[in-house]
Amino acid sequence: MSAIGPVAAAVFRESVRDKVFYNLVLFGVLLVGASIVIGQLTAGQDVKIIKDLGLAATSLFGLFIAIFIGINLVSKEVERRSVYPLLAKPITRPQFIAGKYAGLLLTLLVNLAVMTVALYTVLYFLARGIPAPIQGAWDAPALDPALLKAVAMIFLELSVVTAVALFFSTYSSPMLSAIFTLGVYVVGQFNAELKRFDAIVDSPAAIAVAKACYYVLPDFSRFDVKLAVVHGVPVPGAFMAASAAYAAAYVAALLFGAMVIFARRDFK
Amino acid sequence: MRGPAAAAALCLAAAVALHAAIDRWPAPAVDTPGLLYVRSPEAARRAALSYRGIAADVYWIRALQHFGSERLAGPGHVKDYSLLYPLLDLATTLDPYFSIAYRFGSIFLGEPYPGGPGRPDLAIALLKKGLAAQPAKWQYMQDLGFVYYWHLHDYHAAAEAFQRASEMPGAPNWMRPLAAVTLAEGGHRNASRALWTELAKSEEPWLRDSAVLRLAQLDAMDTMEAWKRAKDQGLNLPIPNDPSGTPFVLNPATGGIIVSPQSKLYPLPGQLEPPR
Amino acid sequence: MTAAIRTRELSKDYLVGFWRPRPYRALDRLSIDVAPGDVFGFLGPNGAGKTTTLKLLMQLVFPTSGEAEILGRPLGDVSIRRRIGYLPENPYFYDHLTAEELLDYYGRLFGQSAADRRQRVGKTLDRLGIGAERRLPLRKFSKGMLQRVGLAQALLNDPEVVFLDEPMSGLDPLGRRDVRALILELRDQGRTIFFSSHILSDAEALCTRVAIVAKGRLAASGTLTDLKEFAIQGWELVMAGVPPEALERVRARARRVVTIGGDRYAIDLPPDGRPEELLRELTAAGATPVSLNPVRETLEDVFVRRVAEMGEGARS
Repeated sequence: MSAIGPVAAAVFRESVRDKVFYNLVLFGVLLVGASIVIGQLTAGQDVKIIKDLGLAATSLFGLFIAIFIGINLVSKEVERRSVYPLLAKPITRPQFIAGKYAGLLLTLLVNLAVMTVALYTVLYFLARGIPAPIQGAWDAPALDPALLKAVAMIFLELSVVTAVALFFSTYSSPMLSAIFTLGVYVVGQFNAELKRFDAIVDSPAAIAVAKACYYVLPDFSRFDVKLAVVHGVPVPGAFMAASAAYAAAYVAALLFGAMVIFARRDFK
Repeated sequence: MRGPAAAAALCLAAAVALHAAIDRWPAPAVDTPGLLYVRSPEAARRAALSYRGIAADVYWIRALQHFGSERLAGPGHVKDYSLLYPLLDLATTLDPYFSIAYRFGSIFLGEPYPGGPGRPDLAIALLKKGLAAQPAKWQYMQDLGFVYYWHLHDYHAAAEAFQRASEMPGAPNWMRPLAAVTLAEGGHRNASRALWTELAKSEEPWLRDSAVLRLAQLDAMDTMEAWKRAKDQGLNLPIPNDPSGTPFVLNPATGGIIVSPQSKLYPLPGQLEPPR
Repeated sequence: MTAAIRTRELSKDYLVGFWRPRPYRALDRLSIDVAPGDVFGFLGPNGAGKTTTLKLLMQLVFPTSGEAEILGRPLGDVSIRRRIGYLPENPYFYDHLTAEELLDYYGRLFGQSAADRRQRVGKTLDRLGIGAERRLPLRKFSKGMLQRVGLAQALLNDPEVVFLDEPMSGLDPLGRRDVRALILELRDQGRTIFFSSHILSDAEALCTRVAIVAKGRLAASGTLTDLKEFAIQGWELVMAGVPPEALERVRARARRVVTIGGDRYAIDLPPDGRPEELLRELTAAGATPVSLNPVRETLEDVFVRRVAEMGEGARS
């Protein structure tokens, strides 16, 4: 058990010093800052577009980080053979997988925290310049704590994406792992449509396959509460808890799967 | 290396100059409907994945630009508002809670040509869609009443809408009296004045400005009638200025005065039809 | 006494080919014993199976058949890894960690306390000659420096058995001398060293026992004295300033005469060539002696001979 901590710490250090990480975070923050300018175009909807853009940027850049740095976790380490001296130490292969995942989650958390601070900062400066009666008519306040709920759901979504990336990179090259992970993400977004397949297609076999896919593949659309949060529609705690449990179950399944594949792998 | 650096700077300067020159050429006269990016709202909703909020914002901005540029275009341009409803429909399909899109649509979709497309039926469709997403939003019901009242002159339906709005949570307490007045005196200028006076208190600046303009137009119509009545009785009053400061002009057909085409209040409600 | 390292019939097949994978035997029934305190040289041409053997011992790949033990424990035992060190060939670590951070990381995996780690990391880096560079990120390290870091991480936990895959790779002559001294120091400390190499002069200088593998099979194993034929195969006499007429007489008796720069000659005599007589004759004729050495079989000779035998023997 004690090997997981050091691995996570090392992964975190490597990731946050990576230029890719820095550039993505910087770009994300700039985009959020730019939203103040874009807000001028929206005829008084500044608060909405800043929140929309801020949350979208957080989600998108977090996705890039989860995929690109997540793929590096195992694929690059195997490709460059830095896994050789590591596995010769007192660490089991499952501990290696768990430690890698924990390190990347920590990296993601830092990224999300930076983007959230940037978003709240921009909202603060916006709210300072707008009189109170107008703010009272908004769907949700500028410095709305409910935004954190949206960020938390983004984190849950990305924790599943990271687990997918880790899973693929235990046996695929970096390029293939990235493609597969992105594919799963896109399919997962459309997942809800699969449920309504019977409205589009007639063949019962196709509908059965679609329904099976709907239940088995991760449904990423259920982690999207951005619209609700921006418009002040309440997000119940029970819903958040259920989503967290769903994410945890998926992550566990993927990590165990990764451990199984990784356990008997020959490093040629 | 001096040579390649100078060459790079020169080529960049040439590119900039070329861009400026091309800009001056007349653009092809097609307003590309490709600006909609995606034709079907359902397809847009699927394509946007989990970025629907921001996609809706993009369409909202496009709708504002489209409406604004058409409305403010010079006399040589034939105004065409055909993209307004599709853009608002896209924005509200992507974000069903996008209240400003519904309300903007309700006011301006029904606006008669050349101020708007003159399609109150589309305004009603949009508002009903908004009510489907948020059935207890009294503002949408109020706007529905407004469209029936002002553009369709269906005072019974308008009164019913105001009544239902008054029963929704959070509705202001002038809603019920407005319903009553509409029922009793629909079409009379006083009832309209009551409606516009309430709308002039709105938090949306463009709605306020619209209401103020309407109230000025109603005042202008009052002044026009008073002048005509005076003339009929033999009093020849001098031609006054309308509430926006521009003088009225004589209308040879009726012998009365009418708002000048140069005035900000032109055209009064009912004066022009949109091209078919 | 338990062998430090023991393999029995250790074999590894790789599946080669995409549509119809066929097994390729990278290692065929390797059985060797390494005694505690040995400096064991694992020699062979490229592709012989040296790295495969090391990877099998490190559990980076899994055997197709056969078994192996380190310090009396079977390969799957994770606890044994606290007592061994491993340097892979051409090591690569991480771009953004410093050498210090890397060793600290590995130290934590060994369960060392913070104070213990600080002390060990500093001491090990000092011993390997890594000074202020220890605070630079590893991506800035040259190949030779990375090799030193690799050695450092292999020795961090004071291992009883050290596994080195091509330890001299990437080092300049000074570096190689340092590593040779290090290996001897480790031997003097009583550790067992197992290293693979294709540089025979190093093995000849350092090893107590060697094994030669070729094409995945063991070609020879034993002490150097066991393997090399000790009989004298000839004499090499180097003289300077030999007068020309004396040179003609020399050519008749010698197998070969080679001119070495200026007026020196290396005279290759057969085993019964009586070199002392020739030395006296040439000195009397006015030449100056430089050196006289017996020629015996080198490890390289053994190597070439045994590898050739492997090639000629039918592969079953």
